Amino acid sequence: MKGRHISALLVTAAILTASLTACGGDTGQGQHITLSVMGRKSDMEKSYMTTIFEHYESATGNRLNLIAIEDADFEKEAADRFASGDVPDIFLHFHNADLSRFQIGENFCYLNDEAWAQELTDSARAYCEDREGNLLGLPFWESSVSGCYYNKTILDSLGMKPATTQEEFDVLCQVLSEIGYTPVCWPADGCTWMYQFGLDPVFADDPELLERLNQNEVSYAEIPEVEAMAGWIGNAADRGWFGPDYLRTGWSDISTELGSGSAVMTFIWDTWFYTDFEQGQKYGIDDFALMPVFMNTAEGGTYEGGNLNMMMVNRNGERLEAAKDFLAFCASPENYNVAFDGISTVSCFRGQTTNIQSKMVTDAQASIAAKERVSTAATRIVGYSADDVAAAFDSLLRGKTDAAGCVKMMDDARMEEARQYGADGF
Amino acid sequence: MKKWIKKWLPVLLSGVIGIAVVLIGIVYFDFISRRIYEDSTGHLEEIYGQVNRSFGTFIDRNWGILNGWGDCFSMTPDDDNAEVAELIREEKEYWGFSEFYFLSSDGQGITMDGADGSLGLEGSREALMQEREPVMAGEKLPDGQEVTVFAVPVSHGIYDGFGFDAIAVSYTNAALARSLNVDAFSGNAKCFVVHSDGSVLLSTQSGGNVFSNYLVYLRAVSDISEEKLDEIRSDWESGASGLLQCRIGGVENCILYQPVGYQDYVLLSAVPRSVVSAGFLAVQKTTMDVLVVIFLLVGAAAAALVVWRSRNQSRKNQMELQYREMMFDVLSSSVDDIFIMLDGEHHGVDYISPNIERLLGIPAAEARENIRVMEKCAVNCDVVIPEKELAEIPIGGNRYWECEYMHQSTGERRWYRMTVYHMCIQTVAKFIIVLSDRTQEQQMNQKLQEALTAARSANEAKSNFLSNMSHDIRTPMNAIVGFSVLLEKDADHADKVREYTRKIMASSHHLLSLINDVLDMSKIESGKTSLNVDRFSLPELLEELSIILMPQAHAKKQTFEIHVQGTPPEQLLGDKLRLNQILINLLSNAVKYTPDGGRIDFTVSELSQAQTAQQYVKLRFTVKDNGIGMSEEFQKHVFAPFSREISSVTNKIQGTGLGMAITKNLVDLMGGIIQVESAPGQGSTFTVELSFALPEQGDAGSWLSQKIRRILVADDEEEICLSISELMRDAGVDVSWVTDGASAAEAAAGAHKKGEDFDVILLDWKMPGVDGVEAARRIRQQVREDIPILVLTSYDWSDIEEEARRAGINAFMPKPFFVSAFWQTLEPLYADLAVGKEDSAVETADRGAMEGRLFLVAEDNELNAEILTEMLDIEGARCELAVNGQEAVEMFERSAPGYYDMILMDVQMPVMNGYEATRRIRSGSHPEAKTIPIVAMTANTFAEDVRDAFAAGMDGHLAKPIDMDAVRSLVGRLLNRTKEIPEREG
Repeated sequence: MKGRHISALLVTAAILTASLTACGGDTGQGQHITLSVMGRKSDMEKSYMTTIFEHYESATGNRLNLIAIEDADFEKEAADRFASGDVPDIFLHFHNADLSRFQIGENFCYLNDEAWAQELTDSARAYCEDREGNLLGLPFWESSVSGCYYNKTILDSLGMKPATTQEEFDVLCQVLSEIGYTPVCWPADGCTWMYQFGLDPVFADDPELLERLNQNEVSYAEIPEVEAMAGWIGNAADRGWFGPDYLRTGWSDISTELGSGSAVMTFIWDTWFYTDFEQGQKYGIDDFALMPVFMNTAEGGTYEGGNLNMMMVNRNGERLEAAKDFLAFCASPENYNVAFDGISTVSCFRGQTTNIQSKMVTDAQASIAAKERVSTAATRIVGYSADDVAAAFDSLLRGKTDAAGCVKMMDDARMEEARQYGADGF
Repeated sequence: MKKWIKKWLPVLLSGVIGIAVVLIGIVYFDFISRRIYEDSTGHLEEIYGQVNRSFGTFIDRNWGILNGWGDCFSMTPDDDNAEVAELIREEKEYWGFSEFYFLSSDGQGITMDGADGSLGLEGSREALMQEREPVMAGEKLPDGQEVTVFAVPVSHGIYDGFGFDAIAVSYTNAALARSLNVDAFSGNAKCFVVHSDGSVLLSTQSGGNVFSNYLVYLRAVSDISEEKLDEIRSDWESGASGLLQCRIGGVENCILYQPVGYQDYVLLSAVPRSVVSAGFLAVQKTTMDVLVVIFLLVGAAAAALVVWRSRNQSRKNQMELQYREMMFDVLSSSVDDIFIMLDGEHHGVDYISPNIERLLGIPAAEARENIRVMEKCAVNCDVVIPEKELAEIPIGGNRYWECEYMHQSTGERRWYRMTVYHMCIQTVAKFIIVLSDRTQEQQMNQKLQEALTAARSANEAKSNFLSNMSHDIRTPMNAIVGFSVLLEKDADHADKVREYTRKIMASSHHLLSLINDVLDMSKIESGKTSLNVDRFSLPELLEELSIILMPQAHAKKQTFEIHVQGTPPEQLLGDKLRLNQILINLLSNAVKYTPDGGRIDFTVSELSQAQTAQQYVKLRFTVKDNGIGMSEEFQKHVFAPFSREISSVTNKIQGTGLGMAITKNLVDLMGGIIQVESAPGQGSTFTVELSFALPEQGDAGSWLSQKIRRILVADDEEEICLSISELMRDAGVDVSWVTDGASAAEAAAGAHKKGEDFDVILLDWKMPGVDGVEAARRIRQQVREDIPILVLTSYDWSDIEEEARRAGINAFMPKPFFVSAFWQTLEPLYADLAVGKEDSAVETADRGAMEGRLFLVAEDNELNAEILTEMLDIEGARCELAVNGQEAVEMFERSAPGYYDMILMDVQMPVMNGYEATRRIRSGSHPEAKTIPIVAMTANTFAEDVRDAFAAGMDGHLAKPIDMDAVRSLVGRLLNRTKEIPEREG
């Protein structure tokens, strides 16, 4: 504990020093600078983002030119701006497959050496690193834990308990199914994220396999766990574990299914309960608890760490140092604690104290610590597309193909995507 | 009643048997079910009793081992941990427990390796530490693993510096479940070790335990009542066993529980009843399968039998139906009634008898397709298929309509009575239409009507005839009788006698004509008239007509001209006598009904001439006058007997009213047609068209033999000149022609000067400028006497004949020009040149032929015999009378050869008629039997009569009343010929 406090003080001191140096450097003639910050409009309007922007401007006297692009146009317009040389000082983007179109190595700084890098939690840092371990940005974002959220009240009333193994999970599903419940709410339409949960442990636990996949030395079809996952999903659907109407339900139905008690479990993240789960139903947030996701790829189950928005610095910008100072300002405990005060999120910073952790996550903390994997499939697999994977599984669930066919469709889509981005080996 | 029983008894029996089978089946299955269930639950209890005992043994063994180890550890020095550890390691490997624990009374614990091994023991700590009892408890380890712990109190000891009062081993629940080895019911049974409060210690379920409290689970998902659950819980607490059935999630389950014997633990199993009763279900299924198979086989056999019988019956019915239909077809084809069956709803044709094609000319298939095709042949029908009226016919009722149809192909008309019956069999309505043939009835009615009409007409005609005859016969008879009276009175006055006699003769002739017509008509109508077809000459016919009619027309100062259009053949095969009769009738009427000074044109034209082996020519004879004409109404029955238009003009004209009827009948008999066009005051045109066969063409005459090579023709009509040239060129004679008399004279003179006289000169009479007579006079002055000069004329030349002969004309020829007539005119001229005045000699011979002759006269009528005797006497001849044929034969037989010159034989006589008598004479032995001339003398004047006379062996025929001129001529001819013919062939 002592060690952690000392390091926090050192980081704060370094950041303040750097900030003052930067201020002094750039305002040597008593002038304030203006940094351009580009991001998705809805992202930049988050309360903690506006707080940190305002806090920065008031604390430093610098100005931020906020380039908020409409969500629907963001990817294309941002890519066009980059292509025309209009690269902002600070760029906000999730670490996912779409990021590869912004020529990361050419446009952004690697931030491994920044003092605040040590302040990041392991999972947050892992999320922000590329395959080579380069820290691409500062994860200044709300974070949540994805897992299997279950209706604890129902299980208790049935004299049942959460599963600890894949086999138990299957038994649980079967028993629930036999007594008339929908064990897992699995809307086939629009819930594209679920599949990455199953893939995460396959590649997070075997970085070498991930590397070979990204080098196109191995395909999904050659990885047994991938087809095992497809087989399990298909089998679960056939056995009625997703309920009778899973092909006709979508994202918006999850709230009702869980709130009414019709479905007992689903694979989602905790903040969803605060942002999308409709209150006032038969069951509320307090009725739910968290256990690992079981998709036949990890015997003990898995959790997925948060998917974070990163602040990246233009390495070729005229205000490079000022931009780095801005990140150091945000990574300062007194600043990020101000910004995330009262925000329900998993901590990205080790010194984060003002945020709120959901009871569901807190209660499962030990399990999460043991079984959490950083979001790997969506962020690390070259050519991964949640939509493409969902499309392949849609064919499987609708009986248009079998598990092997589903895996082949995933492979084909991944390779095509990789070829489009000019990935090596494809 | 009996009928009802007979009908429904099999059904009732079947029902009773079926119910009995079902009840027996239910009882049987219930019995089997209970027995098998009891067996199964017994089996279940037995299985889980064994499991329970195994588990108890397992617990006892663990506690026993632990107790043994406890004693051992108590004796082991506190610092000899290595030995203890080694022992435990060996035992762990042997027994298969997952961990070994040293537990202190304060709740702490360590593992064999000295790691933290604190156990909660689920409330059993007190029992273990305070009450010093062995315990069994479930435990969830920090890594989430669930284990079952067996612990025993031991004497206080120290291990690795840790003071312990109890030791324990743990087994992972998965391993423990495997060791219990509950595989009964194919793994479909759940087996739990639960505490009396329902909490689950372990589950043998494959995949692990997901239940925390099975009582809660049962409360939530089963149909077990709260009271029962409390009872179960009490059982568990009191260590009682139990077996119950409940539904969990809609599935019937058997719940069996037995106390483990330690700490209120219960071995609980939950097995779906279907699994428990699998044996029964298998038996049930097999039984059901067998029964189903038996039922199916029996059913199939029954169905096959029913189908076979049904098909057999159906085939039989079908065959019977086909036979019936066939019989109906045959029946309907042999009758003239038509049968139709229509669908009651849409009026489609279900059946139509095939004779519709024969009777109406409509193919049955076509009518079957659309019954309305019958409309095509409907003639006088109010309705063809009375669709609107069909609906009005009540079921079981009928209606009928009278219809007339015309056969589509032949046009034959048929009458039917269409009767429509509305039938309904088993709710299916049909219309049966019967078209009853009424044609014969209708025709008979028509014939009766016609006969009635005819009879009325005949009566009327008869009345008219009698009236007419009465008038027409009485009129001349009145004259005859009247003048006969006057004759007697004025017998001394020669002039009056001659006058009266002339008038009596005129009236007699009229009366005779009248009688002839009546008899002729009677003969024609009786169908006894036949044609006597022979070769005849058309030019001769025309000449005769001209001779007969020309004087009559001349008497009325009428212009009568004969025209020939085209070049009709001169020789024809036909009945000249009848043709003559037809044409004389028409021409006589024309003369009669044309006022004085009128005009009558008689034209013969050739319509067609067939170019076949048997050649025919069709000729049209047209008689056109500008006389009084006829009304349109009269034209309709101008050819009916006794038809005469009544007018002021016709009333003055004598006639029987039979002439045109006879004419029409004769034309019909000859296969021709006769038409009339007329209008009152506009004259009439009668046209007769007749076909004649053509005889084989013979040589009309040897022109070259008479050295006739060149002739001169003069006619103002060029067409006639060209026609004559063409006709004569065919005969090898060269024709030169001119169109006026002067030119003819010049041409003849010119030829004469050259020494190339024409061989014959033919002149038209009436030519502009120099006429034929004058031209002949001029020519005769130039040419030799032996060159014939002929005058061709269509006029009566009698008035100028004398002058013409003086002018040097040798003969007259009537127009039109015919080669044969030309030759026949020339031939006697050349003969005259050869034989001189033979003509007058023959005439003299005829005149003297009667004188001195002896005739055998067979006549039964005394009056006629007397008249004939007197007439012969006037002629200087004598006769001997026989009163019948027999007597005539005998008189001839008795006569010496040459005694009689001739026999005049009446035909109708008593005893033996004339024909028979002739045949007897001819077949007799008299030397002159074959040669004696026999002449029929009869009132039977028809051609048939003449033919019959000749057939009997007679040589001539004289019609009564006897015309002495005819007698004279015939006698002359026959007696002269007799001289030439030595003997008649037998």
